[in-house]
Amino acid sequence: MKIKTALLSAVAGIALMSGAQADVDPSDTVSIVVPYGPGGGFDRAVRGFAPYFSEALGGANVITENIPGAGGQRGSTEVSRSEPDGLTLGIFNLPGFALPAILGEEVGYDLRELSWIGRLESDDYVLIVAADSDIQTLDDLIAVDDLIITSTGYGSTVLAALQITASELGLAQKDPIYLSGYGGTTDAIVGLIRGDGQVSMAPVSSVTPYIESGDVRGLAMSGSQSLFEDVPTFAEAGYPGLTPLNLQRSIAGPPGIDDATLTQLRSAFMDVVQNEEYLEYAKSIGMNMSPMNGADTAADISSSFEFYERFSTSLQNPN
Amino acid sequence: MLDSFVTATLYLADGVTLMYLMLGVLVGLLFGIIPGLGGATAIALLLPLTFGMEPEQAITLMGGIMGSSAIGGSVTAILLNAPGTAPNAATCFDGYPLTRQGKAGLAIGAAATASSLGGIVGVVVLVAVLPMAKSLVLLFGPPAFFMLAVLGLVSLTISNNNMLRGLIAAALGLFIGFVGYDDMGGTLRFTAGIDYLWDGIKLVPALIGLFAIAEMIRLMVEGGAISKVDRNELGEVKGVGAGFKAVFKHPRTVLSGSFIGTLVGIVPGVGGTVASFLSYSFTVQSSRDSSQFGKGDIRGVIAPEAANNAKDGGSLIPTLAFGIPGSAEMALFLGVLVLHGMQPGPLLLIEREWSLLVLIIALLLATIASACVIAVATKYLIKITFIDSSILIPTVLSVALVGAYALEGSMGDVIMAAVFGVIGYVMIRLDFPRITLVIAIVLGGMMERNFIQSMLMFRSDWTGFFRDTTSLVIFLIIVVALALPVIGRIRRRVRNANA
Repeated sequence: MKIKTALLSAVAGIALMSGAQADVDPSDTVSIVVPYGPGGGFDRAVRGFAPYFSEALGGANVITENIPGAGGQRGSTEVSRSEPDGLTLGIFNLPGFALPAILGEEVGYDLRELSWIGRLESDDYVLIVAADSDIQTLDDLIAVDDLIITSTGYGSTVLAALQITASELGLAQKDPIYLSGYGGTTDAIVGLIRGDGQVSMAPVSSVTPYIESGDVRGLAMSGSQSLFEDVPTFAEAGYPGLTPLNLQRSIAGPPGIDDATLTQLRSAFMDVVQNEEYLEYAKSIGMNMSPMNGADTAADISSSFEFYERFSTSLQNPN
Repeated sequence: MLDSFVTATLYLADGVTLMYLMLGVLVGLLFGIIPGLGGATAIALLLPLTFGMEPEQAITLMGGIMGSSAIGGSVTAILLNAPGTAPNAATCFDGYPLTRQGKAGLAIGAAATASSLGGIVGVVVLVAVLPMAKSLVLLFGPPAFFMLAVLGLVSLTISNNNMLRGLIAAALGLFIGFVGYDDMGGTLRFTAGIDYLWDGIKLVPALIGLFAIAEMIRLMVEGGAISKVDRNELGEVKGVGAGFKAVFKHPRTVLSGSFIGTLVGIVPGVGGTVASFLSYSFTVQSSRDSSQFGKGDIRGVIAPEAANNAKDGGSLIPTLAFGIPGSAEMALFLGVLVLHGMQPGPLLLIEREWSLLVLIIALLLATIASACVIAVATKYLIKITFIDSSILIPTVLSVALVGAYALEGSMGDVIMAAVFGVIGYVMIRLDFPRITLVIAIVLGGMMERNFIQSMLMFRSDWTGFFRDTTSLVIFLIIVVALALPVIGRIRRRVRNANA
């Protein structure tokens, strides 16, 4: 571990020496844009990351900048259009920020063009029912004829995840009612508990407290390994097509950051996510850490984008 | 529970913790007093600073802010007719006329006392119902939310002297509420290609415009100072003590206000603006002599202020039981919890009982502390109303516009505040009720969304609204609310006929 860190700092050091003035100096200020207001999951992720990132960049000032508006588009567009000097970065989620482009809206950024620094979090999705529901398995669910699904609104990641799942499970033919429009993931879960609908879906981090408290029950979850007892993965339940479904939070800068700066930022990122102290802290603030280096993140973003693009016809507004 | 209670009390008895509490109270009061800034802004700004604190210290600080901002906001509502925070809007009705009669001290004293009492009732109810909090929250589904919005709009219209103007203002508010991205229909409405309008018309800039800026335009046209009573005639500022006593002369108003506030607080998303307005309109409707309301009846200050502090206790119920924020402040407060490693959700209450009791006690102490601070400071605050408009107007305008900008750092909000300033002034001149417009903006979106959700749930069978128990009960309240004024009129006519 120590050797690795030392090696990485050496790489960073070399990058520092060899680079032109475009590099991030300890005297610089790097802002990481959160495209939402303070207090949410994105904000928490960045605020927890910033001090460690500052340390890894040799003491450069790293600040968190909230630019909320237009469902996250204002902040992300601002990052994408900023000077590619490595001093303006942002946090993005997938599929959230890929959806508008896939749904044919005009957006001011292309996720596949951004300079990816690395992935922080990755959250699998759990398909859930209320604890007292008659639906015990995926087969039970598929057998229900008049299905009501509780969800957040059109353009949200939860609705997209539900639509993709419905399409893979063959529920779409039954024309289920999407009770969309809940204010947030939690509201949709509470709606499910109340009995507004029969099924919903949420990322692991949001749903864990409700599974632990015994208010909801998981039917299946995405990803290659189940995190809950008695909840199979979609692959185990016979739907391997849903394994890649997840929610990722990654850091990126505008397109065209030069190689030296990008290398420096990426290795600083890796320093942070390999720091035990940071990992422990991240866990304590409820982050679902699943770090990935910049190059892999970039490749992963492209393949995830293709995954969601395949479902673009299923992702139209159900209401 | 008792163990945790003792732990929490001992924790708060510590000098450093008390310092955080007082810091929260002072920041909350200051942010409350400045129109546009409110508890939510204060929490957002202080949130990053809590990083190095112990979780309970952060909670205490936030409790101080939440417990005090509405009390600060009442001062501006009473003195300047510009509510410091949205829930104080209803306090303007009678608070400002009292100021113009030179009785600002009375109004502020009453507001601070009623707020404290309301806060206490809210917290007591919170502690009492906490064990059943979950089932309480589960009572409110989309049909009940829809009916609540209807109740809000109905009580708005009936409490206006001129129903036609009220209806027009409400319709305008509903229309404004439609602007923006509709995530159920997936369409943009009336955004005219402007990115800013994507998120709809935000409440805070609209409020700053409709009240603070509009009031300054009016003052500019009228000239002079706010108080129409000569300063020399007034002599020593008195009345804070009288205001304190006045509250205890109207225990019914305090209690009904507190309970309405707590109840509305429990329902996520409705918020203090509606709570204080409902309380005001209930008091007007249920009073035997309602002729002085709007002209400076002290009950018109007590009712909304009791409600808007009681609502804090109520809105903690959904926040603590399920992690659904009951208001904008609560949403940010959840962010504070997360930042300090507490996952909001049903387990929080069990796992961190004492930390949450710290919050509850902090809230209680904060309401009382801020009422005391205000009572002491009133003497100085009242001087604002004697300041000549040539100094007051530019000062208030700059503070208000900075407040609009500070919310999200967006120039769009500043422009919006200015636009609503003009709309507000036109409404004052033509005698249209501004609060009706505001509440229609709040309730419009909620009403539409929950109506569509309900109809989806009922598979387009509208009788479903009467099969949902909560929704049915609220419907019956609507019927009673509509019948009350009619019954009152008939009783008066009978009495007159007998006389």
